[in-house]
Amino acid sequence: MALELRDVDSGYGETQVLRGVSLKCGDGTITVMVGPNGAGKTTTLKTVNGLIRAWSGSIMFGGEDVTRLHAFERVERGMASCPEGRRLFPRLSTETNLRLGAYSKRARDSVDETLQDVYGMFPRLRERAEVRVGRLSGGEQQMVGIGRALMAKPSLVVLDEPSLGLAPKLIGEIFEKIVELKKRGLSVLLVEQNAFQALNIADYAYVLQEGRVVNEGPPSQLMDREELKKAYFSIE
Amino acid sequence: MKGRTPFTLYGLLAVMAALAAVASFSGVATTVLLVNLLVFAALAYSINFITGMTGYVSFGHVVFMAIGSYSLAVLVSTYSTSPFEGIALGALLGGLFALGIGAVTLRFRGVYFAIASLVLALAGYNLVLQFPQFGPGGELIFYIPFQPLTVFFAIWGIVVAEIVLTFFVNRGKVGLGIRAIKDEEDAAAAAGVNPMKLKLYVYMLSGLFAGAAGAVFAWSTFGVNASSAFDLTFSLQMLAMILIGGMGTSTGPLLGASIVYLLYYELLTYPRLQGGQFLVVGAAVIVIALFVPDGIVGIIRRKYPSLKPVIE
Repeated sequence: MALELRDVDSGYGETQVLRGVSLKCGDGTITVMVGPNGAGKTTTLKTVNGLIRAWSGSIMFGGEDVTRLHAFERVERGMASCPEGRRLFPRLSTETNLRLGAYSKRARDSVDETLQDVYGMFPRLRERAEVRVGRLSGGEQQMVGIGRALMAKPSLVVLDEPSLGLAPKLIGEIFEKIVELKKRGLSVLLVEQNAFQALNIADYAYVLQEGRVVNEGPPSQLMDREELKKAYFSIE
Repeated sequence: MKGRTPFTLYGLLAVMAALAAVASFSGVATTVLLVNLLVFAALAYSINFITGMTGYVSFGHVVFMAIGSYSLAVLVSTYSTSPFEGIALGALLGGLFALGIGAVTLRFRGVYFAIASLVLALAGYNLVLQFPQFGPGGELIFYIPFQPLTVFFAIWGIVVAEIVLTFFVNRGKVGLGIRAIKDEEDAAAAAGVNPMKLKLYVYMLSGLFAGAAGAVFAWSTFGVNASSAFDLTFSLQMLAMILIGGMGTSTGPLLGASIVYLLYYELLTYPRLQGGQFLVVGAAVIVIALFVPDGIVGIIRRKYPSLKPVIE
């Protein structure tokens, strides 16, 4: 199992967001979390990658308990993430952004090879290597975000809303890249508002609502379920 | 970045060598002026480590300067040691206090860090007044021989060390991590940077050098007193210097310190212009902050891209 959350509570300050979230992400699979705004998807990811701490419960990564580890220590163990809104370094160049992804000891030595690899996957970024990331288009920025995560030589990639603010054509392109990650043997944990498209590429999916997992299963099962519609549109 | 000839470093060291030559072969008045100028440059480089590099505004930076001033003043006046031991103690305590203070305050972001550092400076002022060891009213005066050239080379060595360190910190892996923190701290953490460790490291450097500079300042004025040691004007001037020169760069602090110091203490000191310094420096800061947030180095960088290897 690449990642497992057991009964995790989490939130910000006094405000509890997650209430007993348990989920699993299998090795080499794409696991998708869907749910309406405010369901706690981003909070789950931040708790997973260590930007916020779990209040209780545990997080297992590659068989190790990482619940108490800092974000950078989780990166060192092979968990890379592309946070919400991409969270790039807008004033630094594309290449510097990518190189920063290989900041951990784990990735440092092979940074040049990994960089070529990422450019191979996103040829557009090679052309834009010297451009400040703030000047790139939304789609290019998303590629930098995913590319930067790959620079860490991760075994698990955590992606928060990679389709956010992109044109439909680009969304398709980004989703293809995510499938490519899986083909390379990586595990992917993906959060998406764009539920139906995300479910298309998922191996397993969770539906989150008000901080709880309200439904889970293989996407084929979930797609038809009324619950999903209900979760999104509150249609009774 | 790697393997490029460090023109900037050579250039800065050449300027420093020229200053050393001027100080050695000219009169006392010039040497004293250069001592004051370099004290300001040393302070500018010190605040540059934290505020210039990470964007954390250290409003109360004067507190580290005061720690250095009192270290030297107490050692020299009470224990009759040499001023050099005072500088060493000032640097050591400045660095240690920065580590201790930073471990708490660097957890705050943005304006909260700035406020916390400001509060510390005010607290420091009141603390000093409570201890008789720091003299009545926090004033300590000592009588030692006037040796402008020795003082000059003390502060000169400190500034050279700061220039070299700034240059290599900026070039290295630490600098990469720090630029990431300045841009987006959470993203930096998610990319594998340990923000707390890097911030503490540069804050420690900045406290250490502010302490050393403060010690030399006390030496050059033969004493220290609480109201000027904790004068927040120093903090503001340090910020003005790196803002005008170019935040985070290795050339900016020296440029900014020269401009602010010369305007403030030399050119605008005619009685008729009293108070005018504040206006001029204040206006310059506003104009620069609005139009060229990366200071003079930023202007050169944009207008003459070919000069980049020489100024960065």
